[in-house]
Amino acid sequence: MGRLLTLVERSDEATAEVQRHVDVGAPGACILGITGAPGAGKSTLVGALLRHALGAGHRVAVLAVDPSSPFTRGALLGDRVRMSPGGLPAADVFIRSLATRGQEGGLSHAAQTCAAVLAACGWPWIIVETVGAGQVEVDIAATADITVVVLNPGWGDEIQAHKAGMMEIGDIFVINKADRPGLMDTRRHLELLLSSRGADAPDVSIVETVATGGQGIEALWREVMACKAVLFTRAPSLRRRRRLEHLLGDALDAHVAARMQRLLSSEAGAGAVARLDQGSAHLPELVDELVAAMFQPPDGTKPD
Amino acid sequence: MRQFDQQRWLRKKWETLSEIPLRAHYGPEDIPAEHLARLASPPGQAPFLRGAYPEGFRSKPWRIFQLSGFGKPEDENERIKFLLAHGETGFLMEHDRNTADHLFNVDHPEVQARSADVGLTGAVMQSVRDIAICLDGIPIESTYGHAGGAVVQHAPFALAGYWTVAKRRGLDLTRLAGTGQSDYFLTYLGCVTKQQVPTRAGLRLNVDIMEFCNRHLPKWVPISIAGYNGADTGLNAYQELGSVFANAVEYLDEVQRRGSMEMEAAAKAVGGMNFRCCMDIFEEASKLRAARAMWHQLLTQRYGIRNEKVMNLRIHVVTAGSSMAYQQPLNNIARGTLMGLAAVLGGAQSLGVSGYDEALSVPSEHAHQMSVRIQQILQNETNVCGVVDPLGGSYYVEALTADLIGKGWEFFEEIQQRGGFLECLDNGWLHAKAHQNQNADMDAQASGERTIVGVTDFVEDDAPFEVDGFMGVDDSYQVAIERLEELRRTRDAQAAGIALKQVHAACKGSDNVMPAMMAALEADVSLGEIGDVFREVFGDWDTPITA
Amino acid sequence: MNEQRRILLAKTGLDGHWRGPSVVAKALRDGGFEVIMIGMTTVDEIVQAALDEDVDLVGLSIGGHVEVAERAVLALREAGIERPVFAGGVVPPWARKRLEAQGVEVYPPGSQLPDIVAAARRLTGLSAAQ
Repeated sequence: MGRLLTLVERSDEATAEVQRHVDVGAPGACILGITGAPGAGKSTLVGALLRHALGAGHRVAVLAVDPSSPFTRGALLGDRVRMSPGGLPAADVFIRSLATRGQEGGLSHAAQTCAAVLAACGWPWIIVETVGAGQVEVDIAATADITVVVLNPGWGDEIQAHKAGMMEIGDIFVINKADRPGLMDTRRHLELLLSSRGADAPDVSIVETVATGGQGIEALWREVMACKAVLFTRAPSLRRRRRLEHLLGDALDAHVAARMQRLLSSEAGAGAVARLDQGSAHLPELVDELVAAMFQPPDGTKPD
Repeated sequence: MRQFDQQRWLRKKWETLSEIPLRAHYGPEDIPAEHLARLASPPGQAPFLRGAYPEGFRSKPWRIFQLSGFGKPEDENERIKFLLAHGETGFLMEHDRNTADHLFNVDHPEVQARSADVGLTGAVMQSVRDIAICLDGIPIESTYGHAGGAVVQHAPFALAGYWTVAKRRGLDLTRLAGTGQSDYFLTYLGCVTKQQVPTRAGLRLNVDIMEFCNRHLPKWVPISIAGYNGADTGLNAYQELGSVFANAVEYLDEVQRRGSMEMEAAAKAVGGMNFRCCMDIFEEASKLRAARAMWHQLLTQRYGIRNEKVMNLRIHVVTAGSSMAYQQPLNNIARGTLMGLAAVLGGAQSLGVSGYDEALSVPSEHAHQMSVRIQQILQNETNVCGVVDPLGGSYYVEALTADLIGKGWEFFEEIQQRGGFLECLDNGWLHAKAHQNQNADMDAQASGERTIVGVTDFVEDDAPFEVDGFMGVDDSYQVAIERLEELRRTRDAQAAGIALKQVHAACKGSDNVMPAMMAALEADVSLGEIGDVFREVFGDWDTPITA
Repeated sequence: MNEQRRILLAKTGLDGHWRGPSVVAKALRDGGFEVIMIGMTTVDEIVQAALDEDVDLVGLSIGGHVEVAERAVLALREAGIERPVFAGGVVPPWARKRLEAQGVEVYPPGSQLPDIVAAARRLTGLSAAQ
């Protein structure tokens, strides 16, 4: 599995090869996204959740995403330290640390494909922990079946600042480090914002946890299971279509981006830049030309 | 291989290890006016800049105080006796870090997975019986002892064990002198354990110990803040100063909040601290002088304490383990001597010199003996004890001392503004500061700005190793397993069970934990059982570092 | 993208000195590696992490007895992981010899970071220069 994800992470060709052999819809799998600002305690929460789920007999895979340095491409991936399942059966848990490798936002393209591949390979639970690079990542909501947003007490301003994105993507809100001052204020703040979402917005729950001491983890897992039950019973086919649509979109994105990159570094790309430089062409017409060329194989016979 | 290079020497940027720029010479104009006021008081008088006692080492030579421990309790006992026989004037018990720091018994899976590590860094002491073996034949009524318990969560167990042994010998606890440590810098900043109680639970335990000593062991130093561990993790001289006092106010504020003991007594209880001396001799000596003046200033200004007797900071120094090189280890004898000299020039009350094999292993018997000998040479052959504060009045040292006081308070204030010392441990801010300095140090070594003889320069690739490192003993784990089984088999299980429940109740509630801890040790409750209670009641600290 | 190398850094003991491993981790990151830090781990956990993470190189920070590190190397090999291993930490000369006999490169205290990064490049099949 580890080697397979390396291939998926390295190239879209390998991903495509894997996806030719599996049911990408992965009807049995549930992808759980965990997001929230740095320092919220996401890794510790994931670790506690992992131990709880394993203890309850589930098999769980975890993808933990951390940022790559844009300058050196290196990365420090330290989430695994806080997730150590400690003595639980190794066959039931898989943890993979991923670097964003220059992808914008919190969730790398590779993380999305890795999650899909894990799902397709039969992992019933896949927890994806995002970077939390100061902003709420909305793409987690598209990948995950259930999205958990992690906050801390005393985060009134942060909630205010991010309410737009966060309020929409969260299925479950966790106030972690709930033993700290400011819990009730944060809870009230959150409830107020959630209540303003309109009558047709789905119900969301708020769970208080102290992940380091394990408090609230059982309650959180109950909420997760309840969400899953709704998802899997109420509209399983809708959910499957939603996931497939997202995967297709993501695969298209990656494919087009790769073609675009190839084209830009080819003679045609250089030529277009040169014309722009000489003032002999304008951007819009070059875009049209290049888009046409992107889907026109060089030999003009058939698409590759 | 780098050798002496004239050009590099002439380009050298002269600054202290804390990156305080140095001028080629100093004069009277470099000493600020407010510092002259401090300098006006002789040694033994507030603000104690010039020393703790009027007669300095003439009346009280510093205590030769070496960390020692490995193997089985009887191995450690033998080493302590060896050191005392060679002139050590106090002793430090070191508990095995795998078990003690984590409050694990040896049969805990995390320990079993590394059974070969057991006993490598200290003796395994899982019950009062083991502590009694370690102290066997050592006259603790007349020899100043460090009971171990360097780690916050371990201190209640280690102290209660030591005191229980003393009680069983019929000693009067109110007259028992000695020290614990129970220090945050060690495991919340320096060597973070795999599992330990959150910082705020630790504060509660430490203040419980202070109160208990105040009531029952007035001659005991209940806790000792160990800036050493912060400094050896990367904090520079003034950061060490700022953070130890930021730590001290956590204790003093908590005592004030509880109102359970006099502030003067609390000041005395916290006023025995541990600093590091590394290779920048003048900066380190200045740092110790600065520390005494800062402590006085803190107590008078923040807490309104007026009694001079409780404001006299007592300083234990350990020479920097991280300055001891792996390469050409005999060079470390010179380093230990120089760092020890810095401590003596700064007026430390007690001193431990790291073993010359520090970078290779825990000290061998020979390395330990050398550490004692270095101190004896300093004490007896150099005449350095003849005059108090021999550096006092040096333009350079006074300017540097004044600068360190100023920068130390700035760092202290920054910690306060960031929520205080514990908060800065919780959120990793102090770790980041230390890390930044470590990286700068490594970069300076790599670039040639900093020279370490035998390491960065003057390297001998093909030199045979002169020292092979101490190999320890190989039966610590097995014997510890047997003793644990014997403990479980032969103790009064019911009494142990009741005592453990009382510890649990005390931890859950707000009563002082120490009476229940004493009863638990008396009833042969084991280390790991105490740990299980702590883990259940207090949970785990959310460590901000990942390495 | 294909040149991206991944290194696992583990501590074999329960002694949590992080000064050494953290400066090494940062230097390796700055050298362009993805560094997966797993802290204080048992031999089994090291093997599991090396498999899950599919790393190109395993780094062991030794804070205790060399025997634990030796077992880790053996266990990696038994699990079919043939990736190179390098080690640092408090490793006395006698222990160093034992590790080197297992094919482990040892970087004791005092080793310079550029040398460690260069070793990581060499051991993961990258050219010496960055």
